[in-house]
Amino acid sequence: MSTLDTTTDVARRPLSGRRAHLGDLLLQGAAGLAALGAVVLVGLIAYKIVQGAKLSLSTFGLGFITHVGWDPVHLSFGAGSFLFGTAITSIGALILATPLSIGIALFLTELAPGGIRGPVTALVETLAAIPSVVIGLWGILVLGPVLRDHVEPFLHSALGFIPLFGPPNSAGTGIFTAIVILTIMILPIISSISRELFLSVPGELKEGALGLGTTRWEMVRGVVIPYTRGGVAAAVILGLGRALGEAIAVAQVIGAFTGISWNLFNPGNTLASMIALNYQGASSGLELSSLIYLALILLVFSIIVNIVAQLIVRRVAKRQGLAQ
Amino acid sequence: MPRNGKLVRIILVLGAVAVAASFAVTAASAKRSAGSLKGAGSSFVAPLVNAWIAPVNSNLGISMSYNAVGSGGGVSAITNKEVDFGASDAPLSVFSPTCTTCVQIPWALSGTAVLYNLPGAKNLLKISGAVLAKIYLGQIKKWNDPALQKLNKGVNLPSTAITVVHRSDSSGTTFNFTDFLSRVSPAWKSKVGTNTSVAWPAGVGGNKSAGVAGIVHQTPGAIGYADVAYSTIAHLNVFKVQNRAGNYIIPRLKNIKAASALDTHPAKDGSLSIVNPPKNAKYANAYPISTYTYVDVQKSSANAANLKKLINWAVTKGQAFGPKLIFQPLPAAVVAFDKKQIAKVK
Repeated sequence: MSTLDTTTDVARRPLSGRRAHLGDLLLQGAAGLAALGAVVLVGLIAYKIVQGAKLSLSTFGLGFITHVGWDPVHLSFGAGSFLFGTAITSIGALILATPLSIGIALFLTELAPGGIRGPVTALVETLAAIPSVVIGLWGILVLGPVLRDHVEPFLHSALGFIPLFGPPNSAGTGIFTAIVILTIMILPIISSISRELFLSVPGELKEGALGLGTTRWEMVRGVVIPYTRGGVAAAVILGLGRALGEAIAVAQVIGAFTGISWNLFNPGNTLASMIALNYQGASSGLELSSLIYLALILLVFSIIVNIVAQLIVRRVAKRQGLAQ
Repeated sequence: MPRNGKLVRIILVLGAVAVAASFAVTAASAKRSAGSLKGAGSSFVAPLVNAWIAPVNSNLGISMSYNAVGSGGGVSAITNKEVDFGASDAPLSVFSPTCTTCVQIPWALSGTAVLYNLPGAKNLLKISGAVLAKIYLGQIKKWNDPALQKLNKGVNLPSTAITVVHRSDSSGTTFNFTDFLSRVSPAWKSKVGTNTSVAWPAGVGGNKSAGVAGIVHQTPGAIGYADVAYSTIAHLNVFKVQNRAGNYIIPRLKNIKAASALDTHPAKDGSLSIVNPPKNAKYANAYPISTYTYVDVQKSSANAANLKKLINWAVTKGQAFGPKLIFQPLPAAVVAFDKKQIAKVK
């Protein structure tokens, strides 16, 4: 995510002053086209989405964003409940996944005996390869009942004074199940990037710290984490991006409730899963357009998250004195 | 271990649905060739249409493909002429924009079953439309509610909380089910209404029939709904539903057939409703949530000849494949109407 300023790089200078090789020209052309393609694609997507959402935009205006409700019979639509659901599931998943992933990455780079590093790394990365529909099924049939019968009652009795941990839901599908599913899905992303970052910390720095008599924990806290902070923050944001956009697995376990409930154990819905569930079967043009409006909100949301991520990375990098 | 067997079966069915759904998306834009017909729509009718593929190929020489993308998807696909035929459980008039240049033909007949999971209770408990509507409105919350207990005299219902399960995606099955609830409950009709998806006042949603069945399966106290064919595959308990004659009816072929006696003359647009037949000895054994499901085709179609052959076959010989999958063969009068509708395709 971190963009190094490379304009001073000799190799980056245009071909003047150097002999133009055909290969260089081809490379520049191909790479330039690829980059341009990505930009054009995003532009086209944005254009199509705005066009598709026009009907809903003109019918509901900006009030759509905060209106809570989705009634295809009486043609009244709003994004409020799905924005809430998207925010609470993504934040919840980040809160659970960030410490876990960093823990896994630290274990794999600093603590694990050599023999088990390889297998554990491979297994964690395999998590990322499981199709989301399969994770969703597992969520309905296996995880949901376990959460409902054991975890939710425990959380309710221990932390019930916080409104978030209200009475457990009887179905085992709900916001909390979606958070756990999302946690599992973003864990491999954050942990494998963090692992690469931790591996990139120069051995001399770590050895130096240990040589000064620090404990392993002090070395991690004083050397590894500060050295990689920006990158880890970027990894977390990447995970957030995945959590924001995940549709199918969430759609299967979140319980599709339109409304705002602070009890994590109640069903809810997110922008992405709402779109995935209803796009093919929308019964009116206005509902279809409203679903595309949801997509527009999701797109804007993702762009904001990305920009914030860039800012965080840049700030952290600056503080480290690494920025040029 | 019957419990595990059931779980494995549900997983298999869910997996198949997922694969089918992902294929559907890619196939929707695939190219057509001569002698082949492409259809998309209702997942309710999919088992029957899939059973037709092989005999249609060997008897008519037409290779047919069908993608169960859901009723709404089927209607939009035929409206945009992406397919040769669309299939929908809800009549075309429900959709807006809808296909104004289409012919609507009722081509299969079945029903919607009400499922439940109540540990210790036997199969085939009784329920009435009014009580079912109150449950889905969130007004009846416990199994031992006097209203439910009254319907099931002699059964000791526990105080287990009722978990209402509905479809989270748009679905023709939801249209059938909410159509029934709107007809039996004025409160439902005014507060919620009838559509392929509605603003559910209570409960949790499952994705597709498989998702509903999955949640019902693992939630003690759950009540859900699915088409009769699916509920048979999923091996879940089903309610006997009270009809207006006052009898409690199992969702079975002969009772769906009894409901079809209500009306065998489709409206001009091809729609035909047999939901909740009136109180009459003739419909004493009618299952009240019985429904026709439709095939929609463009009046002028590049593949008109093959399409006509296919649908003619489907509403006649094709019906013989129905009973095994809990589809009741069409009444003769409906077949006669269908043939007239098919003649409009050119």
